[in-house]
Amino acid sequence: MSVSDRELLQRSASGDRAAFDAFVERHGADVFRYARWVAGDETDAEDVLQQTFLDAWNAAGDARAENGARAWLVSIARRNALRVSSRRGAAREQSLEELGELAGFGDPEHTPERVARAAEQRGLVEDALAALEPEEREILVLRDVEELPGASVAELLGLSLAAQKSRLHRARLRLAAQLRRHCGLEQQA
Amino acid sequence: MRGEREIGGLRCSQVLAQLSEYFDGELGDLERGRLEAHVRECDHCARFGGVFAAAVRALHTKLRASALAPAVRERLRARLELPPRRT
Repeated sequence: MSVSDRELLQRSASGDRAAFDAFVERHGADVFRYARWVAGDETDAEDVLQQTFLDAWNAAGDARAENGARAWLVSIARRNALRVSSRRGAAREQSLEELGELAGFGDPEHTPERVARAAEQRGLVEDALAALEPEEREILVLRDVEELPGASVAELLGLSLAAQKSRLHRARLRLAAQLRRHCGLEQQA
Repeated sequence: MRGEREIGGLRCSQVLAQLSEYFDGELGDLERGRLEAHVRECDHCARFGGVFAAAVRALHTKLRASALAPAVRERLRARLELPPRRT
């Protein structure tokens, strides 16, 4: 049976480096992936990754870690990512109907199969995500890639649960719109 | 909205607004039942629901890598060798 995050952090807080190494091994990829999309590029993401685990080592006894190590780590990573990211833009406010049409509502040519086929092309999903605003990328990575619960993400982002849901839904529609746009480009090529 | 219809007491724009909550399992039984009844009769919403789900699924499967690249892991290890814990 694997050792719990809580136990690894308790042992780390007592100076057990092997326990902390195991904790890094367990969560390093998640933190790097989150940082990659929030900080903007891989060099900045590596800085965020390293600083996050340094901070985690120094705060391993932090009581908040006991309530969910991944959410706690992401909150540290977020602080570090915001420090290095150069721009936090706000998406232009579009109505849901407008976003739905951009994403292909009512377009008989745009089918789930077409999206799935297009997504198989190398780099297309990454390009679509990169085209979004930073706050849209962040919530998609937290909810749909890292699969953190909505309540944790709301707390992390300082949003009400309803505002978190609304931001997530709009971000998903914007992602779907970007994928549709890329599908069109692929077809023309 | 293009092709907007009202089926089962629900308009397409209302279905669109609830898609995330539906896919995240956050709708109550009554709301979920009304949405599913609309989608069964509305080809626009059925197709778009599939498009929406395919986009979210693609994001998860394409970005969820399993491990750090070896070079990134090595640099992280090197960085974590440095500090004694602050007291």
